Amino acid sequence: MKLAYYPGCTLHGTAREYDASTKAVCKASNIELTEIEDWNCCGALEAIFDKELSMGLSARNNMLAQRTGLDLVIPCSICSHNLSRADMAMRNDESFRAKMEKALGERYRGIRVRHLLDILVNDVGIDTLSSKFIKPLKGIKAVPYYGCLLVRPSEVGRFDNPENPTSLDNLIRAAGAECLPFTQKTKCCGGNLLMSKQDYAFIFTKKLFDEAKAAGADCIVVACPMCHMLLDGQQSMVEEAHNTVIGMPVLYFTQLIGLAMGLSEKELELDKNMVSPARLLDLIIEGGKE
Amino acid sequence: MIKTSQLDSNFKYEIANEPGGENIKRCFNCTGCTVGCPVTEIDKGYNPRKIIRKALLGMRDEVLSDDSIWLCASCYLCYERCPQDVKITEVMGAIRAIAQREAKAGNIKLDNPKPLFDNLFINSVRKNGKWHEAGVSGMFTLKTKGIKGLIDYIPMGLELFRKGKVSILPHKIKGKDQIKRIFEEVER
Repeated sequence: MKLAYYPGCTLHGTAREYDASTKAVCKASNIELTEIEDWNCCGALEAIFDKELSMGLSARNNMLAQRTGLDLVIPCSICSHNLSRADMAMRNDESFRAKMEKALGERYRGIRVRHLLDILVNDVGIDTLSSKFIKPLKGIKAVPYYGCLLVRPSEVGRFDNPENPTSLDNLIRAAGAECLPFTQKTKCCGGNLLMSKQDYAFIFTKKLFDEAKAAGADCIVVACPMCHMLLDGQQSMVEEAHNTVIGMPVLYFTQLIGLAMGLSEKELELDKNMVSPARLLDLIIEGGKE
Repeated sequence: MIKTSQLDSNFKYEIANEPGGENIKRCFNCTGCTVGCPVTEIDKGYNPRKIIRKALLGMRDEVLSDDSIWLCASCYLCYERCPQDVKITEVMGAIRAIAQREAKAGNIKLDNPKPLFDNLFINSVRKNGKWHEAGVSGMFTLKTKGIKGLIDYIPMGLELFRKGKVSILPHKIKGKDQIKRIFEEVER
Protein backbone atom coordinates (compact mmCIF):
# COMPACT_ATOMS: atom_id res chain seq x y z
CA MET A 1 0.00 0.00 0.00
CA LYS A 2 1.28 3.46 -0.93
CA LEU A 3 0.23 6.56 0.99
CA ALA A 4 1.14 10.24 1.11
CA TYR A 5 2.39 11.19 4.56
CA TYR A 6 1.79 14.40 6.53
CA PRO A 7 3.74 14.28 9.80
CA GLY A 8 2.81 17.76 11.08
CA CYS A 9 5.05 19.99 13.19
CA THR A 10 5.06 18.00 16.44
CA LEU A 11 6.24 14.79 14.77
CA HIS A 12 9.35 16.70 13.73
CA GLY A 13 9.77 18.00 17.28
CA THR A 14 8.38 16.96 20.63
CA ALA A 15 6.65 13.91 19.15
CA ARG A 16 9.63 12.60 17.18
CA GLU A 17 9.14 9.10 18.65
CA TYR A 18 5.69 9.04 17.05
CA ASP A 19 7.27 9.85 13.67
CA ALA A 20 9.95 7.17 14.10
CA SER A 21 7.53 4.49 15.31
CA THR A 22 4.99 5.38 12.59
CA LYS A 23 7.64 4.88 9.91
CA ALA A 24 8.87 1.62 11.48
CA VAL A 25 5.38 0.15 11.89
CA CYS A 26 4.29 1.19 8.38
CA LYS A 27 7.41 -0.39 6.89
CA ALA A 28 6.69 -3.61 8.75
CA SER A 29 3.08 -3.47 7.51
CA ASN A 30 4.14 -3.04 3.85
CA ILE A 31 2.96 0.57 3.70
CA GLU A 32 5.15 2.87 1.66
CA LEU A 33 4.99 6.45 2.96
CA THR A 34 5.87 9.45 0.80
CA GLU A 35 6.15 12.60 2.85
CA ILE A 36 4.45 15.47 1.01
CA GLU A 37 6.89 18.13 -0.06
CA ASP A 38 7.19 21.48 1.67
CA TRP A 39 4.14 21.00 3.90
CA ASN A 40 3.15 23.71 6.38
CA CYS A 41 1.59 23.87 9.83
CA CYS A 42 -2.15 23.07 9.83
CA GLY A 43 -2.82 25.83 12.38
CA ALA A 44 -3.08 23.23 15.16
CA LEU A 45 -5.21 24.02 18.20
CA GLU A 46 -4.14 27.67 18.06
CA ALA A 47 -6.08 28.36 14.86
CA ILE A 48 -8.81 25.77 15.40
CA PHE A 49 -11.19 28.50 16.61
CA ASP A 50 -10.25 30.65 13.61
CA LYS A 51 -12.08 28.33 11.24
CA GLU A 52 -11.23 29.93 7.93
CA LEU A 53 -7.54 30.37 8.70
CA SER A 54 -7.28 26.81 9.99
CA MET A 55 -8.96 25.47 6.86
CA GLY A 56 -6.88 27.74 4.61
CA LEU A 57 -3.56 26.59 6.07
CA SER A 58 -4.74 22.98 5.88
CA ALA A 59 -6.00 23.40 2.30
CA ARG A 60 -2.45 24.02 1.07
CA ASN A 61 -1.35 20.66 2.49
CA ASN A 62 -4.30 18.91 0.87
CA MET A 63 -3.36 20.52 -2.44
CA LEU A 64 0.22 19.23 -2.06
CA ALA A 65 -1.09 15.76 -1.21
CA GLN A 66 -3.35 15.83 -4.28
CA ARG A 67 -0.27 16.07 -6.51
CA THR A 68 0.88 12.64 -5.29
CA GLY A 69 -2.38 10.99 -6.38
CA LEU A 70 -2.35 9.02 -3.12
CA ASP A 71 -4.55 8.98 -0.03
CA LEU A 72 -3.07 11.04 2.79
CA VAL A 73 -2.25 9.46 6.14
CA ILE A 74 -1.79 11.55 9.29
CA PRO A 75 -0.79 10.25 12.73
CA CYS A 76 -1.76 13.44 14.63
CA SER A 77 -5.43 13.71 15.61
CA ILE A 78 -5.37 17.51 15.43
CA CYS A 79 -3.76 17.73 11.99
CA SER A 80 -6.03 14.94 10.80
CA HIS A 81 -9.12 16.83 11.99
CA ASN A 82 -7.95 20.12 10.49
CA LEU A 83 -7.03 18.69 7.08
CA SER A 84 -10.26 16.63 6.92
CA ARG A 85 -12.35 19.68 7.80
CA ALA A 86 -10.56 21.69 5.10
CA ASP A 87 -11.12 18.94 2.52
CA MET A 88 -14.83 18.90 3.38
CA ALA A 89 -15.10 22.68 3.01
CA MET A 90 -13.13 22.67 -0.25
CA ARG A 91 -15.59 20.12 -1.67
CA ASN A 92 -18.80 21.69 -0.35
CA ASP A 93 -18.23 25.42 0.01
CA GLU A 94 -17.70 26.98 -3.41
CA SER A 95 -16.74 30.43 -2.21
CA PHE A 96 -14.10 29.03 0.14
CA ARG A 97 -12.73 26.77 -2.59
CA ALA A 98 -12.55 29.71 -5.00
CA LYS A 99 -10.58 31.75 -2.47
CA MET A 100 -8.09 28.94 -1.84
CA GLU A 101 -7.69 28.02 -5.49
CA LYS A 102 -6.89 31.66 -6.13
CA ALA A 103 -4.36 31.81 -3.28
CA LEU A 104 -2.71 28.56 -4.30
CA GLY A 105 -3.01 28.84 -8.08
CA GLU A 106 -4.26 25.29 -8.48
CA ARG A 107 -7.56 23.41 -8.89
CA TYR A 108 -8.75 21.16 -6.07
CA ARG A 109 -10.53 17.89 -6.83
CA GLY A 110 -10.51 16.41 -3.32
CA ILE A 111 -8.35 13.86 -1.54
CA ARG A 112 -8.93 11.24 1.14
CA VAL A 113 -7.52 12.22 4.53
CA ARG A 114 -7.10 9.32 6.94
CA HIS A 115 -5.82 8.94 10.48
CA LEU A 116 -3.05 6.36 10.84
CA LEU A 117 -5.09 4.32 13.32
CA ASP A 118 -7.92 4.09 10.77
CA ILE A 119 -5.51 2.86 8.07
CA LEU A 120 -3.95 0.21 10.28
CA VAL A 121 -7.17 -1.12 11.80
CA ASN A 122 -9.46 -0.88 8.77
CA ASP A 123 -7.23 -1.13 5.69
CA VAL A 124 -4.33 -3.30 6.81
CA GLY A 125 -6.72 -4.99 9.23
CA ILE A 126 -6.39 -6.60 12.62
CA ASP A 127 -6.01 -10.10 11.12
CA THR A 128 -3.06 -9.16 8.94
CA LEU A 129 -1.45 -7.21 11.76
CA SER A 130 -1.95 -10.13 14.17
CA SER A 131 0.16 -12.33 11.90
CA LYS A 132 2.97 -9.79 12.31
CA PHE A 133 2.73 -9.66 16.11
CA ILE A 134 5.50 -12.20 16.69
CA LYS A 135 6.26 -10.97 20.20
CA PRO A 136 2.90 -10.66 21.99
CA LEU A 137 2.89 -8.24 24.89
CA LYS A 138 1.66 -10.73 27.45
CA GLY A 139 1.89 -9.33 30.97
CA ILE A 140 1.04 -5.72 30.07
CA LYS A 141 -2.23 -4.15 31.14
CA ALA A 142 -3.10 -1.09 29.08
CA VAL A 143 -5.89 1.46 28.85
CA PRO A 144 -6.75 2.92 25.43
CA TYR A 145 -6.99 6.70 25.37
CA TYR A 146 -8.64 8.21 22.28
CA GLY A 147 -9.01 11.78 23.50
CA CYS A 148 -11.11 14.21 21.48
CA LEU A 149 -10.29 14.92 17.87
CA LEU A 150 -9.55 11.33 16.88
CA VAL A 151 -13.26 10.51 17.13
CA ARG A 152 -15.00 13.90 17.33
CA PRO A 153 -16.67 15.57 15.58
CA SER A 154 -17.80 12.40 13.81
CA GLU A 155 -18.95 14.34 10.73
CA VAL A 156 -15.25 14.86 9.99
CA GLY A 157 -13.24 11.77 9.08
CA ARG A 158 -15.46 9.30 10.91
CA PHE A 159 -14.08 5.78 11.39
CA ASP A 160 -15.12 4.81 14.90
CA ASN A 161 -17.97 5.33 17.35
CA PRO A 162 -17.64 8.84 18.83
CA GLU A 163 -19.10 7.85 22.23
CA ASN A 164 -17.49 4.43 22.63
CA PRO A 165 -14.70 3.86 20.12
CA THR A 166 -13.09 0.40 20.04
CA SER A 167 -10.44 0.38 17.29
CA LEU A 168 -7.58 1.05 19.69
CA ASP A 169 -8.99 -1.50 22.17
CA ASN A 170 -8.95 -4.16 19.44
CA LEU A 171 -5.43 -3.29 18.39
CA ILE A 172 -4.10 -3.49 21.96
CA ARG A 173 -5.72 -6.91 22.42
CA ALA A 174 -4.39 -8.16 19.10
CA ALA A 175 -0.89 -7.13 20.24
CA GLY A 176 -1.28 -9.54 23.15
CA ALA A 177 -1.65 -6.98 25.93
CA GLU A 178 -4.63 -6.90 28.25
CA CYS A 179 -6.93 -4.00 27.36
CA LEU A 180 -8.77 -2.69 30.40
CA PRO A 181 -12.08 -0.80 30.33
CA PHE A 182 -11.34 2.93 30.64
CA THR A 183 -14.06 5.37 31.67
CA GLN A 184 -11.98 8.30 30.39
CA LYS A 185 -11.26 6.98 26.91
CA THR A 186 -12.80 9.93 25.09
CA LYS A 187 -12.38 12.60 27.79
CA CYS A 188 -10.32 15.69 27.06
CA CYS A 189 -6.65 15.87 28.17
CA GLY A 190 -6.87 19.65 28.51
CA GLY A 191 -4.32 20.22 25.76
CA ASN A 192 -5.80 23.44 24.45
CA LEU A 193 -5.66 24.97 27.95
CA LEU A 194 -2.05 23.97 28.68
CA MET A 195 -0.58 27.40 28.01
CA SER A 196 -3.47 29.67 29.06
CA LYS A 197 -5.07 27.80 31.98
CA GLN A 198 -2.54 25.26 33.15
CA ASP A 199 -4.22 24.50 36.47
CA TYR A 200 -7.38 23.39 34.65
CA ALA A 201 -5.41 21.37 32.09
CA PHE A 202 -3.62 19.54 34.89
CA ILE A 203 -6.91 18.72 36.67
CA PHE A 204 -8.09 17.10 33.41
CA THR A 205 -4.83 15.17 33.08
CA LYS A 206 -4.70 14.14 36.73
CA LYS A 207 -8.20 12.66 36.41
CA LEU A 208 -7.03 10.52 33.49
CA PHE A 209 -4.13 9.18 35.54
CA ASP A 210 -6.34 8.52 38.57
CA GLU A 211 -8.84 6.54 36.52
CA ALA A 212 -6.12 4.66 34.62
CA LYS A 213 -4.56 3.64 37.92
CA ALA A 214 -7.92 2.69 39.40
CA ALA A 215 -8.47 0.45 36.38
CA GLY A 216 -5.14 -1.24 37.14
CA ALA A 217 -3.26 -0.02 34.07
CA ASP A 218 0.50 -0.34 33.60
CA CYS A 219 0.42 2.15 30.76
CA ILE A 220 -1.78 4.48 28.74
CA VAL A 221 -1.85 4.08 24.96
CA VAL A 222 -2.46 7.18 22.83
CA ALA A 223 -2.85 8.15 19.18
CA CYS A 224 -2.29 11.91 19.38
CA PRO A 225 0.85 13.99 20.09
CA MET A 226 -1.13 16.54 22.11
CA CYS A 227 -2.52 13.87 24.43
CA HIS A 228 1.02 12.51 24.70
CA MET A 229 2.39 15.98 25.46
CA LEU A 230 0.02 16.29 28.42
CA LEU A 231 0.25 12.73 29.71
CA ASP A 232 3.94 12.06 29.09
CA GLY A 233 5.65 15.42 28.49
CA GLN A 234 3.88 17.23 31.32
CA GLN A 235 3.55 14.30 33.73
CA SER A 236 6.34 15.56 36.00
CA MET A 237 4.65 18.99 36.08
CA VAL A 238 1.30 17.40 37.00
CA GLU A 239 3.08 15.49 39.78
CA GLU A 240 4.56 18.74 41.05
CA ALA A 241 1.29 20.69 40.81
CA HIS A 242 -0.70 18.00 42.62
CA ASN A 243 2.10 16.96 44.97
CA THR A 244 1.88 13.32 44.01
CA VAL A 245 3.77 10.54 42.27
CA ILE A 246 2.28 9.18 39.04
CA GLY A 247 5.02 7.26 37.20
CA MET A 248 2.73 6.13 34.37
CA PRO A 249 4.37 5.23 31.05
CA VAL A 250 2.46 6.60 28.06
CA LEU A 251 3.09 4.95 24.70
CA TYR A 252 2.04 5.89 21.22
CA PHE A 253 0.01 3.00 19.82
CA THR A 254 2.69 2.65 17.14
CA GLN A 255 5.31 2.09 19.84
CA LEU A 256 3.12 -0.54 21.49
CA ILE A 257 2.35 -2.54 18.35
CA GLY A 258 5.93 -2.02 17.14
CA LEU A 259 7.12 -3.91 20.22
CA ALA A 260 4.71 -6.73 19.39
CA MET A 261 6.12 -6.75 15.86
CA GLY A 262 9.56 -7.34 17.35
CA LEU A 263 10.88 -3.94 16.31
CA SER A 264 13.77 -2.61 18.38
CA GLU A 265 13.39 -0.06 21.17
CA LYS A 266 15.76 2.14 19.20
CA GLU A 267 13.64 2.05 16.03
CA LEU A 268 10.58 2.94 18.11
CA GLU A 269 12.57 5.64 19.97
CA LEU A 270 11.33 4.47 23.35
CA ASP A 271 14.22 6.44 24.88
CA LYS A 272 12.58 9.69 23.72
CA ASN A 273 9.49 9.36 25.93
CA MET A 274 9.82 11.64 28.94
CA VAL A 275 8.51 8.96 31.32
CA SER A 276 10.75 5.94 30.93
CA PRO A 277 8.89 2.81 29.80
CA ALA A 278 11.68 0.58 31.18
CA ARG A 279 9.56 -0.91 33.98
CA LEU A 280 6.74 -1.54 31.55
CA LEU A 281 9.02 -3.52 29.26
CA ASP A 282 10.10 -5.66 32.23
CA LEU A 283 6.49 -6.78 32.64
CA ILE A 284 6.40 -8.47 29.24
CA ILE A 285 6.43 -12.24 29.67
CA GLU A 286 8.85 -13.57 27.04
CA GLY A 287 7.60 -16.27 24.69
CA GLY A 288 4.09 -15.34 25.71
CA LYS A 289 2.40 -16.62 22.54
CA GLU A 290 0.56 -19.65 23.79
CA MET B 1 -30.92 41.80 35.75
CA ILE B 2 -31.23 42.21 32.00
CA LYS B 3 -31.95 45.70 30.77
CA THR B 4 -33.68 45.40 27.41
CA SER B 5 -32.58 48.91 26.46
CA GLN B 6 -28.97 47.74 26.56
CA LEU B 7 -29.46 44.66 24.39
CA ASP B 8 -27.98 44.52 20.91
CA SER B 9 -30.49 42.55 18.87
CA ASN B 10 -28.05 42.48 15.98
CA PHE B 11 -25.43 40.48 17.90
CA LYS B 12 -26.73 37.06 16.86
CA TYR B 13 -26.53 38.06 13.21
CA GLU B 14 -23.03 39.39 13.76
CA ILE B 15 -22.01 35.97 15.15
CA ALA B 16 -23.85 34.11 12.38
CA ASN B 17 -21.83 36.11 9.84
CA GLU B 18 -18.52 34.82 11.22
CA PRO B 19 -17.11 31.54 9.87
CA GLY B 20 -18.33 28.83 12.28
CA GLY B 21 -21.06 30.98 13.84
CA GLU B 22 -23.71 30.29 11.18
CA ASN B 23 -25.92 27.94 13.26
CA ILE B 24 -26.16 29.90 16.52
CA LYS B 25 -29.83 30.78 16.01
CA ARG B 26 -30.77 27.08 16.00
CA CYS B 27 -30.08 26.76 19.74
CA PHE B 28 -33.19 25.88 21.77
CA ASN B 29 -31.36 26.12 25.06
CA CYS B 30 -31.54 22.43 26.04
CA THR B 31 -28.30 22.44 28.13
CA GLY B 32 -26.96 19.30 26.42
CA CYS B 33 -23.70 21.16 25.73
CA THR B 34 -23.19 22.05 29.35
CA VAL B 35 -24.02 18.80 31.13
CA GLY B 36 -21.22 16.91 29.40
CA CYS B 37 -18.67 19.73 29.27
CA PRO B 38 -15.36 18.79 30.94
CA VAL B 39 -14.62 22.44 31.76
CA THR B 40 -18.00 22.89 33.47
CA GLU B 41 -17.20 19.77 35.50
CA ILE B 42 -14.34 21.60 37.22
CA ASP B 43 -15.59 25.19 36.93
CA LYS B 44 -19.30 25.74 37.56
CA GLY B 45 -18.88 29.31 36.32
CA TYR B 46 -18.31 27.99 32.82
CA ASN B 47 -21.65 27.51 31.14
CA PRO B 48 -21.76 27.32 27.34
CA ARG B 49 -25.58 27.25 27.36
CA LYS B 50 -25.61 30.61 29.15
CA ILE B 51 -23.02 32.10 26.81
CA ILE B 52 -25.15 31.19 23.80
CA ARG B 53 -28.40 32.31 25.48
CA LYS B 54 -26.86 35.68 26.35
CA ALA B 55 -25.55 36.02 22.80
CA LEU B 56 -29.01 35.29 21.37
CA LEU B 57 -30.58 37.83 23.74
CA GLY B 58 -28.09 40.42 22.52
CA MET B 59 -25.97 40.87 25.65
CA ARG B 60 -23.03 41.78 23.45
CA ASP B 61 -20.71 43.58 25.87
CA GLU B 62 -21.23 41.03 28.62
CA VAL B 63 -20.49 38.08 26.33
CA LEU B 64 -17.45 39.61 24.63
CA SER B 65 -15.77 40.67 27.85
CA ASP B 66 -16.60 37.41 29.67
CA ASP B 67 -13.34 35.61 30.48
CA SER B 68 -15.09 32.26 30.17
CA ILE B 69 -15.35 32.46 26.36
CA TRP B 70 -11.61 31.65 26.46
CA LEU B 71 -12.05 28.48 28.54
CA CYS B 72 -13.48 26.16 25.87
CA ALA B 73 -10.96 23.33 25.46
CA SER B 74 -12.15 22.50 21.90
CA CYS B 75 -12.94 18.90 22.88
CA TYR B 76 -15.99 18.92 20.54
CA LEU B 77 -18.17 16.91 22.93
CA CYS B 78 -20.98 19.51 22.81
CA TYR B 79 -20.52 19.81 19.06
CA GLU B 80 -21.01 16.07 18.74
CA ARG B 81 -24.02 15.85 21.03
CA CYS B 82 -25.93 19.03 20.18
CA PRO B 83 -29.39 17.99 18.87
CA GLN B 84 -29.67 21.21 16.86
CA ASP B 85 -26.22 21.06 15.24
CA VAL B 86 -25.36 24.50 16.59
CA LYS B 87 -21.65 23.64 16.22
CA ILE B 88 -20.95 25.19 19.61
CA THR B 89 -17.16 24.83 19.49
CA GLU B 90 -17.12 26.83 16.28
CA VAL B 91 -19.65 29.34 17.61
CA MET B 92 -17.18 29.93 20.46
CA GLY B 93 -14.55 30.62 17.78
CA ALA B 94 -16.86 33.13 16.09
CA ILE B 95 -17.45 34.93 19.41
CA ARG B 96 -13.69 34.95 20.10
CA ALA B 97 -13.02 36.50 16.69
CA ILE B 98 -15.42 39.37 17.41
CA ALA B 99 -13.93 39.83 20.90
CA GLN B 100 -10.42 40.01 19.44
CA ARG B 101 -11.48 42.66 16.93
CA GLU B 102 -13.14 44.72 19.67
CA ALA B 103 -10.01 44.43 21.81
CA LYS B 104 -7.83 45.50 18.88
CA ALA B 105 -10.09 48.54 18.38
CA GLY B 106 -9.63 49.39 22.07
CA ASN B 107 -13.29 48.85 22.97
CA ILE B 108 -12.77 46.01 25.45
CA LYS B 109 -9.85 44.60 27.39
CA LEU B 110 -9.01 40.90 27.28
CA ASP B 111 -7.35 39.53 30.40
CA ASN B 112 -7.12 35.89 29.39
CA PRO B 113 -3.69 34.90 28.00
CA LYS B 114 -5.17 32.50 25.43
CA PRO B 115 -5.44 35.01 22.55
CA LEU B 116 -1.85 36.12 23.21
CA PHE B 117 -0.52 32.58 22.81
CA ASP B 118 -2.69 31.86 19.77
CA ASN B 119 -1.54 35.06 18.07
CA LEU B 120 2.14 34.41 18.77
CA PHE B 121 1.65 30.92 17.31
CA ILE B 122 -0.26 32.13 14.26
CA ASN B 123 2.28 34.87 13.55
CA SER B 124 5.05 32.30 13.69
CA VAL B 125 3.19 30.26 11.06
CA ARG B 126 2.55 33.41 9.02
CA LYS B 127 6.29 34.12 9.01
CA ASN B 128 7.78 30.64 8.55
CA GLY B 129 4.97 28.33 7.40
CA LYS B 130 5.56 26.25 10.52
CA TRP B 131 5.42 27.18 14.16
CA HIS B 132 8.62 27.69 16.07
CA GLU B 133 7.97 25.99 19.37
CA ALA B 134 10.94 27.29 21.35
CA GLY B 135 10.44 30.86 20.13
CA VAL B 136 6.68 31.00 20.63
CA SER B 137 6.61 29.25 24.01
CA GLY B 138 9.61 31.27 25.20
CA MET B 139 8.06 34.60 24.20
CA PHE B 140 4.69 33.66 25.74
CA THR B 141 6.30 32.59 29.02
CA LEU B 142 8.34 35.79 29.12
CA LYS B 143 5.28 37.96 28.48
CA THR B 144 3.04 36.21 31.00
CA LYS B 145 5.45 35.07 33.73
CA GLY B 146 8.49 37.27 33.21
CA ILE B 147 12.16 36.29 33.38
CA LYS B 148 11.54 34.08 36.42
CA GLY B 149 8.94 32.04 34.53
CA LEU B 150 11.42 31.57 31.72
CA ILE B 151 14.14 30.45 34.13
CA ASP B 152 11.74 27.98 35.77
CA TYR B 153 11.22 26.38 32.39
CA ILE B 154 14.94 25.84 31.70
CA PRO B 155 15.23 22.27 33.14
CA MET B 156 12.31 21.04 31.00
CA GLY B 157 13.66 22.91 27.97
CA LEU B 158 17.11 21.35 28.40
CA GLU B 159 15.64 17.86 28.72
CA LEU B 160 13.64 18.37 25.52
CA PHE B 161 16.76 19.69 23.77
CA ARG B 162 18.83 16.74 24.99
CA LYS B 163 16.27 14.36 23.53
CA GLY B 164 16.34 16.21 20.22
CA LYS B 165 12.76 17.38 20.60
CA VAL B 166 13.16 21.14 20.16
CA SER B 167 15.16 23.17 17.70
CA ILE B 168 16.68 26.51 18.51
CA LEU B 169 16.05 27.94 15.03
CA PRO B 170 12.69 27.99 13.22
CA HIS B 171 12.03 25.66 10.27
CA LYS B 172 11.01 27.62 7.21
CA ILE B 173 9.07 26.30 4.26
CA LYS B 174 9.69 27.29 0.62
CA GLY B 175 6.10 28.21 -0.20
CA LYS B 176 5.90 31.21 2.10
CA ASP B 177 4.34 33.33 -0.65
CA GLN B 178 1.39 30.91 -0.73
CA ILE B 179 1.03 31.17 3.05
CA LYS B 180 0.99 34.95 2.68
CA ARG B 181 -1.79 34.72 0.07
CA ILE B 182 -3.82 32.36 2.28
CA PHE B 183 -3.67 34.90 5.11
CA GLU B 184 -4.66 37.69 2.70
CA GLU B 185 -7.66 35.71 1.46
CA VAL B 186 -9.02 34.77 4.90
CA GLU B 187 -8.34 38.18 6.43
CA ARG B 188 -10.01 40.05 3.58
